[in-house]
Amino acid sequence: MTDTTPTAWRVFLRAPVSGWTWRGLAYLIVCAPLAFAGFWAVGICLMFGALFAITFLGLPLIAVTVLGGRRLGQLQRTLGRSMVGARVDDPPPFRRRPGLFGWLGSALKDATGWRGLAYLVVKGPVAMVGAFGAGLLWIESILLLTYPVWWSIFDVTNKDSHGVKHHSEVQFGNFYFDTWPKAVLLSAVGLVAVFLAPWPIRGLVALDGVLMRWLLGPTQSDQRVHELERTRAHAVDDSAAALRRIERDLHDGTQARLIALAMNLGQAKETLDAAGDSSRVRELVGGAHESAKDAIAELRDLVRGIHPPVLDQGLDAALATLAARSTVPVDVQVRVPVRPSPAIETIAYFCVAELLTNVARHSGATRATLDVRERHDTLRLQVRDDGGGGARIGAGTGLTGLAERVRTVDGRLSVDSPDGGPTTVTVELPVAS
Amino acid sequence: MRVVIAEDAAILRDGLVQLLTDRGHDVVAAVSDGDALRAAVAEHDPDVAVVDIRMPPSFTDEGLRAAIAIRHERPAVGVLVFSQWVETRYAAELLAGSSSGVGYLLKDRVADVSEFVEALTRVAAGGTALDPEVVRQLLGASRRRDAIATLTPREREVLGLMAEGRTNGAIARQLVVSDRAVEKHVANIFTKLDLPPSGEDHRRVLAVLRYLD
Repeated sequence: MTDTTPTAWRVFLRAPVSGWTWRGLAYLIVCAPLAFAGFWAVGICLMFGALFAITFLGLPLIAVTVLGGRRLGQLQRTLGRSMVGARVDDPPPFRRRPGLFGWLGSALKDATGWRGLAYLVVKGPVAMVGAFGAGLLWIESILLLTYPVWWSIFDVTNKDSHGVKHHSEVQFGNFYFDTWPKAVLLSAVGLVAVFLAPWPIRGLVALDGVLMRWLLGPTQSDQRVHELERTRAHAVDDSAAALRRIERDLHDGTQARLIALAMNLGQAKETLDAAGDSSRVRELVGGAHESAKDAIAELRDLVRGIHPPVLDQGLDAALATLAARSTVPVDVQVRVPVRPSPAIETIAYFCVAELLTNVARHSGATRATLDVRERHDTLRLQVRDDGGGGARIGAGTGLTGLAERVRTVDGRLSVDSPDGGPTTVTVELPVAS
Repeated sequence: MRVVIAEDAAILRDGLVQLLTDRGHDVVAAVSDGDALRAAVAEHDPDVAVVDIRMPPSFTDEGLRAAIAIRHERPAVGVLVFSQWVETRYAAELLAGSSSGVGYLLKDRVADVSEFVEALTRVAAGGTALDPEVVRQLLGASRRRDAIATLTPREREVLGLMAEGRTNGAIARQLVVSDRAVEKHVANIFTKLDLPPSGEDHRRVLAVLRYLD
């Protein structure tokens, strides 16, 4: 305890000249107009948004305001971090669903944006009063401290109610600071005030820090969701890597051995044929040869279901091969400038494989198109066909399983398939799992 | 026939060497990656190279890259690419430019030893050998399916065999019909698809492939 006392005193004595105090003051001053403008902007936008809510304009206005709350929150966090070292983490980024209505819904339900608005509403009055009070306190204490100087320079006189003249600039009731001892006393009061003035500033900055962490930082559930997303992405990538390793091992080991086996059996068969052998041995070798070839073909199909090796060449090469294998003619357009993560590529590949199989099996289509493009970090796969339509999620077409698989990476699958066709299935995936 | 083999699985590489040596061919080098393949081809100037697509170090398509480079640098060397997989992209890259002295087969085909050696010989002699699976995919990926749909089933069969690189005689044997019948089918195909008639086998394949692309 004994050695903390001098430190506490030192902190107290150095507070008026410490950079921290002045940065804090600057921060409060910068924040004040921002909070003022933000406070009124939020009020006005929400009011008009609510007024026009029955028309088409109201909800978008509110949505824009909510997103504005996000932006101002971001600005506020940046200011807080850079000027007063506020420790506040970024909330999760805005996730918009595709389409205008998706955007509108996402924005209106954006908790981070609303919390940003709440911050502005709470912060507004606090910041304005706080900055004004803290600034005034500083100016006053400095004026008092320097009272003897300007009292002696500007020889001011004023009269009291009895008409008596006093050489004083400051008075408390009928007490005039008109002599040197009294002026020095006032200066001493100013000196104490100078040492006290930093603390309201610090208090306000600390209060703002609490507000920021509460309303501008991630909530506990945000942090939990972030953690879950991270571990899930890890699991998804891990399993993609594991499948790829299995495929590699099968390719280098089992498949090579089977082919060598089939080759040897082929040679044996031809040798027996050349010798004119028609015994049971020739028959057995022939059977084994056929079985080995079947096993190779089956293993190839199996491996293709685990991890198609052509995916290593990129989605466009893999999808071109898929389309070429389809019995219904498929026009393919793939525009993906940046390669998605391997796990996403794998999911995209199997989605297209399943959808094209559906087209061939169920739709009765004569033509199909496959369109794959990447926009705003979203990979969109679209398979259209001119078949009979009537495809539903949950109608036993494998679409349900596909939708489940897509959901594991926060993707979406939607089906537009009126009876009589045409059918469009759209899958949206984030480019990184 | 002087052969260079590039295959990274030792068991298959040794098997191929054995198989070709047994049939009186001269395997001048057996290597396990693309760089060694190009070095071996430069050193031995073989009639034909058998190339696995997927080899070290990246295990993606280094064999194909090496094969394309060899076709470019030494057009006289036949290149037979073989792979566990058939991908249209690979086929298109390999066949870009010319279809003479080139082959693309599934590895399974070595199980039918005689057919495999026959295909290899064809490629060494400047012919073409495409896996039926490759042809099926090229037909599937072709932008001219409407025209192909006008062919009769038998004509489509003949078109497929033509694209694989077979001669009229080989097609006739395979389908168990007369040479005359095959010639008639071929003439019909060329008329229906509006292809320029061509006598030489490999130019005929080239025409078909161009068409399918």
